[in-house]
Amino acid sequence: MGHWLELFVHWASGLGLNYGFLLDAFQRGTLGQGALTTLLLCAFTIVGSLLAGVALAAMLTSGNPWLAKPARVFIEVTRNTPTLVQLYCAFLVLNMLLTQAVGAANPLTPFAWVVIVISLHKGAFHAEALRAGIEAVPGVTLEAASSLAFSKRQLLWNVQLPLALRFALPSLINNLIDLVKMTAVASAIAVGDITYAAIMIWTQSDNVLELMILILGFFGLLSFFVNCVGRLLEARLRMPGYGH
Amino acid sequence: MAIEASGVVMRAWPRRHLGKLFLLIGLGAALLYFALQSPVSKALLQWSPALARGFAQNIVISLVAIAIGSLLGLLVGALALSPLRGLRWPARIWVQCFRNAPWLVLIYFTTYVFPFELRIGGVYFAFPDWLKVTIGLALPASANIAEIFRGAVASIPATQWEAARSLAFTRGQIFRSIILPQCFKRMLPPWMNLYAVITMGTALASLVGVHDVIDTAQIASNTVNKTGFTVVIYLSLLALFFAYCYPISRLTQALERRYAFY
Repeated sequence: MGHWLELFVHWASGLGLNYGFLLDAFQRGTLGQGALTTLLLCAFTIVGSLLAGVALAAMLTSGNPWLAKPARVFIEVTRNTPTLVQLYCAFLVLNMLLTQAVGAANPLTPFAWVVIVISLHKGAFHAEALRAGIEAVPGVTLEAASSLAFSKRQLLWNVQLPLALRFALPSLINNLIDLVKMTAVASAIAVGDITYAAIMIWTQSDNVLELMILILGFFGLLSFFVNCVGRLLEARLRMPGYGH
Repeated sequence: MAIEASGVVMRAWPRRHLGKLFLLIGLGAALLYFALQSPVSKALLQWSPALARGFAQNIVISLVAIAIGSLLGLLVGALALSPLRGLRWPARIWVQCFRNAPWLVLIYFTTYVFPFELRIGGVYFAFPDWLKVTIGLALPASANIAEIFRGAVASIPATQWEAARSLAFTRGQIFRSIILPQCFKRMLPPWMNLYAVITMGTALASLVGVHDVIDTAQIASNTVNKTGFTVVIYLSLLALFFAYCYPISRLTQALERRYAFY
């Protein structure tokens, strides 16, 4: 491992790029920890955003205006305001109020706030995709299901959502790739993700370009991975006549 | 058909909800009257010119970014459609690179890698931070516009190409007089959508030290240092961006409905 790193650093310095910090155990550790934090952040927010998306889509298509209207308002506000402002509203306003209310017992860390905010933000986008999918389920399918005495909840869970998932999968994957890129915003409230770790390193040793290439490569790999999983799911879930 | 229907809905809306509308206005006026006497709203009023200046900076960044991004994006999109592989591949790589990079990372990239002044013919030009952020936003915008352009051209039915070719039009003539006029109509909704997204992206400028509306809000909240004021100023940030982006998104939806039949 160390041998390969040295070879790489030597090769890069031939190109005029100074990757010397990779040989420093502390800085390499910081960067590795940051990469791990980003991965954790992605894992939590992907699950959270999908849950939020399903909940919001269920509210939107429930046919009950007391559920659908608030969900619609939430989605419109979320889609038309910057994530950073939402993050500040949550972390600097809600977190402040919470800390004032319960003192040092505040259980929510900056990491938790980023997970909550990005989950809800991307959940709104998922909900729109799922709603379109749910509405694309043919009426005869629903009639057939209700003639088999499916309750409204069973209808949603066993008939509408599985089909809606197939319709919505391409845009869901698109949203998830966007989500992976969006986690970089966590560095704004000092969550130690890979962007934050890189900022810490380049303020000390002035090697912005090298770190940027590294981060871009990291995010590129991550979105490529999500894309591959999406393609795999699309192939696995493929049903003749539903989705593409 | 669709145009008339949406027009009717728009005209009917205020009349149908006249009572609710008046109630809302009355409620708003009453709230405003009571709120104006509190110290929080006085501070907000005092800071609102600075906030407006900050928001103007955001809008300037977004407008310049979409302008540069559109020019660059149309160029790259045109290259991506070229029959020559040597021109097509660089355009593809450009699009893939800048579409898949996080915006924040690109903004950091342009801010820290570009010099703070440029020397052109012995004269030094300042290269301010806001311009670097604008370029950082224009790069992903150009990649997205290139894709929008490519998608619009690809969405024109192949029969039109064939019909034009059978009338002995050259490739350039087909593009100029048949394909492109139809493309611009199709590109308008996604282009506006992208503009709204870029406007929201300008919020990231505060992270690299541009004095935009969020930076101003942070300074204000630290200066006044009151819980109520902090709550109000961050919520007004949300309201400002919403008030600017929501009409654009509604207009985009209306245009999409209108062009959906063509």
